[in-house]
Parts: sequence; C-alpha cells; structure tokens
Amino acid sequence: MALLLRTVARQGLCSSRSQFGVLYRHAVPMGTTANEEMNKFWAKNTRLNRPVSPHITIYKWSIPMMMSISHRGTGVALSSGISAFALAALVLPESYPYYLDLIQSMTFGPHFLAFSKFALAFPVVYHTFNGVRHLAWDLGKGFKIPEVYRSGYIVLALTVLTSISLAAM
Amino acid sequence: MAALVRISSVCHRGVSPLLFRSSSLIRPLAVQNKDRDCPYLISAKIHATPSNYAGSGSKAASLHWTGERILSIVLLGLAPVAYYYPGPAVDYSLAAALTLHGHWGLGQVVTDYVHGDFKVKMANAGLFLLSTVTFAGLCYFNYHDVGICKAVALLWSK
Repeated sequence: MALLLRTVARQGLCSSRSQFGVLYRHAVPMGTTANEEMNKFWAKNTRLNRPVSPHITIYKWSIPMMMSISHRGTGVALSSGISAFALAALVLPESYPYYLDLIQSMTFGPHFLAFSKFALAFPVVYHTFNGVRHLAWDLGKGFKIPEVYRSGYIVLALTVLTSISLAAM
Repeated sequence: MAALVRISSVCHRGVSPLLFRSSSLIRPLAVQNKDRDCPYLISAKIHATPSNYAGSGSKAASLHWTGERILSIVLLGLAPVAYYYPGPAVDYSLAAALTLHGHWGLGQVVTDYVHGDFKVKMANAGLFLLSTVTFAGLCYFNYHDVGICKAVALLWSK
C-alpha cells in the first residue's frame, strides 16, 4: 500500500475520479452527514458536562483573526441597527425629519455631527471592503498567508480613508 | 465540497504528501506509524458530498451558499445606484436586500454558536420574526416616511 501511494505521489496527482477510486479502495463512505456528526458531538459532550478546552483565551491573536471577528461584529451591529431603525419607524409617532431636527438641536458640540457620521460610516465601510475580500476568497484567490495579510492591510487602510472622506461630506 | 480523508495508519515510512491539484480544501492526514509491524490498513472514513454516491442529501445547502454570495454582489451594486438614482424602486430594493443579507448573516451566526435541536429551532424562529418585523418596518418607512435614500441624504446634509 505504501509503495502504491509513493508511486502515485511521485507521478503527481490530478483530481480525476478514477485515480481517487484507487486510493479509496480501503475507504468507506460514512452513513451520516456532517451536520449530524456535529450535533452528535455537541449532544454527547454537553450530556457528559465536559468543559471546552481553552482556545481563544490562550491563542495569540493575529490581524486576520481580529479582522474576521470584526467582520462578524460589524455585521451583527449593522443588522441590529437596521432592525432597531425599522422598529422605531413602526413605533414612533412622528416622522423622520422631525426626529432628525430634534437630534440636531441637541448637538453636543461643533464636531459631534462629523464624529457621528464617521462612527456610522466606519462599520459600514469596513464590512463592505472586508466583504469584497471575502468574495475574493470565495473565488479561490488570495489564500497564501502573505496575501491574507496584504489584503487585510489594504482593507484597513481603505476603510479609514473612505470613512474619513464620507464623514467630511 | 470538501472531502476529508483520514488514513489512520500507513505501513513503513509513511506517505509523502499527496498533491491534489484542483481543490485546496482537500488535505489528507497521513499519520506516521512508529510501530514497525503494521501489516494492515485501517479503513479510512470519508465525508463526500451526497451527489457522489447514492444517499441522502440535496443541493439546498450549496445553493444557499451561492445565493448568499449573489445577494452580496447585488447589495454591493445597489450602493452606487442608490447614490445616483435615489427613489422608491431603490428604496424597496435596498429594504429587501439589506433585510435578507442580514437574515442570512445572522443565520450563520446562529449555526456557529447555537447547539442542540430545540435551541437552534428557537433561535431561528426568533430570527425569522426579527427579520419579518425589520422588513415590515423598512417598507413602512419607505411608504409613509421619506424613504431610505432620502433618509441617508438628510442625515448627511446636517
């Protein structure tokens, strides 16, 4: 078996099914889906009351890690904001221009509005640019580690610049 | 479609990494067996997409994934359209696209962090309710108030 595998590896492999068949001669397809396997895992481990091994509390944070969770964080925040806005539209009695003027009259300083625009634009812009980065990954591009870092830095730079320009408008 | 191949034990000096040219997602794990006498190969268990062999499974999950990406691209395109051609058509399109994109996104968050049949059902039910109310609210805003595009324009004019 080892000789067979070494021979195949030396020749290089392409993904044609027939060669897969040779390698999978001793392989058995599982009778459960990945989803079922995951559920079984969680059911068993919660039933046995097992603690989860430390992972994010001990692993060193990297820029790609932080950007990934930020993508999720901004997504959840933006979604919540939109839902809150929609709920307010349904519940509040007055119209939008009324409340906008109300907020403007309560302005807490000269740069408050500019800062609020920046605070509003930043998560939208970050999520958008990082979303494009995700779409590139979905096309299979940019997975090498240096590329991941490079595209990450570009997203961060573009986010800051675009947010500032939008806040200045 | 990711196939995970685990070859539990291989005789002698182990296996040189098998190079799969097309898919970067397939990674065989070859375990070096230090035991000198291992004349047999333990069966490898594989997950393969159901379409590879006769079994349960539909393309629903795969189509959902593709739909998510297409919606993202549509939403990306809506942004400049909203800037240059504000109006009711874009307002309602934005309401639909934003709500659905958020709904699917939060759905992935639920899938990642919520475990257990009942909890998953409850979380998804709550999410569905939230998304419905969100869409209703945005449509109400578009109809009875200034609309999304105008709202952003007004906010930015201050």
